[in-house]
Amino acid sequence: MIQRILLAGFLVFGSFGSAAADETCQSPFLPKVTGQEDYIYVWTLGVKGLGDGNDSMVTVDANPKSPFYGKMINRAPVPGRHEAHHAGFTDDRRYLWAGGLDTSQIFVFDVGSDPAKPKLVKTISTFVKDTGGMVGPHTFYALPGRMLISALSNAQDGSGRTGLAEYSNDGKFIRTIWMPKEAPYGYDVRVNVNLNRMLTSSFAGKKNYMRPFGELVKDGEAMKNFGGSVVVWDFHARKPLQVLSVPGAPLELRWALLPNHNYAFTATALTGQLVLIYQQEDGTWATKNIAEIGANLPVDISIAPDDSKIYVNSFGDGTLRVYDVTNPFEGKLIEQVKLGEMANMVSSSWDGKRLYATNSLLSQWDKPGDYWLKAFAWEDGKLVTKFTTDFNPVGRAHIMNLNSKAFGPRAARSTPGDRRTSTNVASR
Amino acid sequence: MWRRADIAAALLAGLAVAPGVAGGHDAPSLGDEFVKGVFSPSFVPPAAGSYELPAVKRVAGFVLRDSTGRSVSTERITAGKVAVVSFIYTACPERLGCPLASQALQDLQVRLKDEGLHRDVVLLSISFDPALDSPGRLAKYARVYGADPVFWRFMTAPSALVLEGILESYGQDRAPVYDPRGRFTGRYSHVLKVFLLDRDGYIRNIYSAGFLVPELVVNDIKTVLTEKEAQGVLKR
Repeated sequence: MIQRILLAGFLVFGSFGSAAADETCQSPFLPKVTGQEDYIYVWTLGVKGLGDGNDSMVTVDANPKSPFYGKMINRAPVPGRHEAHHAGFTDDRRYLWAGGLDTSQIFVFDVGSDPAKPKLVKTISTFVKDTGGMVGPHTFYALPGRMLISALSNAQDGSGRTGLAEYSNDGKFIRTIWMPKEAPYGYDVRVNVNLNRMLTSSFAGKKNYMRPFGELVKDGEAMKNFGGSVVVWDFHARKPLQVLSVPGAPLELRWALLPNHNYAFTATALTGQLVLIYQQEDGTWATKNIAEIGANLPVDISIAPDDSKIYVNSFGDGTLRVYDVTNPFEGKLIEQVKLGEMANMVSSSWDGKRLYATNSLLSQWDKPGDYWLKAFAWEDGKLVTKFTTDFNPVGRAHIMNLNSKAFGPRAARSTPGDRRTSTNVASR
Repeated sequence: MWRRADIAAALLAGLAVAPGVAGGHDAPSLGDEFVKGVFSPSFVPPAAGSYELPAVKRVAGFVLRDSTGRSVSTERITAGKVAVVSFIYTACPERLGCPLASQALQDLQVRLKDEGLHRDVVLLSISFDPALDSPGRLAKYARVYGADPVFWRFMTAPSALVLEGILESYGQDRAPVYDPRGRFTGRYSHVLKVFLLDRDGYIRNIYSAGFLVPELVVNDIKTVLTEKEAQGVLKR
C-alpha cells in the first residue's frame, strides 16, 4: 500500500500563488485559476433563424472590476448546429474541447493565446469512425496529455450502449473503452486520483435525447431506455470494478474534494434523488439516497470546495436548491432560488464565493423562452444575484467553463531571450 | 514510498546549485496539514501486465548536450530502451515542482536497480532553461540527486529553437513568468509532466504530480517491457 503522502504543485506556477478559484468539478489534472475568474466560456446552442444560427463559444466577462462585467465580449461560432452540450479544458488549459451530441463533431478552441477570444483551431469529424461506432461525445475530461471523453450512444442502433474514448491533446485517437454489458449506458466521467478510482454515470441513447421531450415522455417503452447505474472503475487500468444500482438516470458526478472524503454525489433526473456514492471500509462502494429533490428533473449539480454543500439545478421547475451535505449521509435543503425556466447548468467557483447558472438542456427538450446566464454570490449567508446575461440574441446557454487572464499568452513558443524583451505579463 | 527526510535533504542541497535565485529551494513541509489541491495517493497500483498502455504519440529525437558538454542524440540514448523523461530546470523554486519530479526519478533509479531493470531503462531529465542550465550546472544538480551518469542522464538544449521543438514534440507547455512590470523573473510556469516512452519512442503514459507514484511507474515500465504485441492504434 502506498503510504499517505501529500503532493502538490501539479502545475508549477511561479507567481500565481495558491489555488483559489475554479469550477470545483474540473479534472484534478487541470491547473486551477487563482483569485477572481475573468471569463466564462459558454458553449451555446445555435437557433435556426437567429443570427447565423450556428453553435458558438461565447465569452462572458466575469470580473467585477471590468467595465464589461456580465457582458458578452466575444462569440466564436462553429459552422452549423451540432447540439452543443459539454466542453472541457486540456490539462495545460491551453485548449477547450467542445462537443456536439447530434453530429458527434468535436471543436477544439485555442484559449491560451487570447483567453478573452477563444479561436477554433481544429475540428475532429471522425469521432464515430475512430471509436468504432460511439455517438454523442459528452464529458471532456483532462488527463495528462490526453482527453478522456464519455459518449452517450452508438451509431448502430442509437441506444444508450456506449463507452469512453481517449484522444491525445493534439487530436489523435488513442482508444475506445466500451461500458460493461451489465451497465451499457454512459453519461459523465470523473476521476479521483488519490484512490485511483473513476466513476461513470448513465443517461440515454440518441433515440431518446434527440426526440421531442413531450413526445418522449408519452412513450412508455422509450422511457424504459434510460440508464440506472453508476460504474466504479480502476482508473489506471481503465477496468470496471463494480456496478452500482442507481435507478432513474444518474447524471453529473461530483467527487468530494477534501482528503479522506472518499465519496461522490450524483442526482437522478427521473427519480429526483440526491445520491451519495461512498467507499465502505472494505474498499467496495455503495450508494445512499440522501435527499428527495422531487419530480422536477434535477440536472446539473455542483459541489462547494469544502464539501459542505451540493447545488442542484432542476430543469422542471427552474429552481436552484442548495443542500448542506456536511454529513454526507444526510442532505439538508438550506436554500432555494427560483432561477427561471429550464435551469440546467450550475457552477461554483473554486473559492466557493460565486455561483453561475444557465438554462437550456437539449434542443428537443427545451421550450421557447428566455435564455440566460445568471451570476450569484454568497453574501451574509444568502445567494445574491450579481448579474444576468441575456443569451436570446445568440442562442441557448449551456455548459460554463471559467478561465483567467493568468492563463494568457504563455505558449511554449517563448524562448529564453524573453527574459529581457517580452512585454507580456502572465502573472496577476 | 517517499522518504520525507530525503526530500528535504535533496532540496536543501539544491540551494547550492541555485544560488541567488528568487525563492531558492525551500525544504517542503510535507506535513499532514491540509492544502487544497494537494494529492495524497492511497491505493495499490494494478499489477504489471494486467492492463494496456496504448501509444499516445511518437516523439522525435533531438541532439542535445549532456552534463559533460557532449552533443548526444536522444534517440541514441533511448535506443532499445524504455525511457522516463522529465522536464525540469535547476532554478525551479517550487518546492513541489521540478524538485519533486527529480525526487521521483531518484526513487525510480533505486527501485529499477533493485529489480535489475536498469539495463532496460534510461532516465532523462531535460532542462526548460538552456540559457541558465549549462552542462556544468546540470552536472552539479545531478550529483545532488545522486544520479548514476550511465543510467540517469541530464540534458540541455543547444538553442531555444531545439528546446521549442522538443517541447512541441512531447506536448509539454512552458512559459516564462514576468513580474507586473514585465520583467522576466527567472521562473517558468509549466504543468509538471513525466513521460514514459517505449523502446520505439512512443509515449505510453504521462504522469503529473497526482499520479507520479513510483510503484505505479515501475509497474508501467514492466508492462511495456513484457508486452507481446504493439499496443494502440498508432502503432498498428
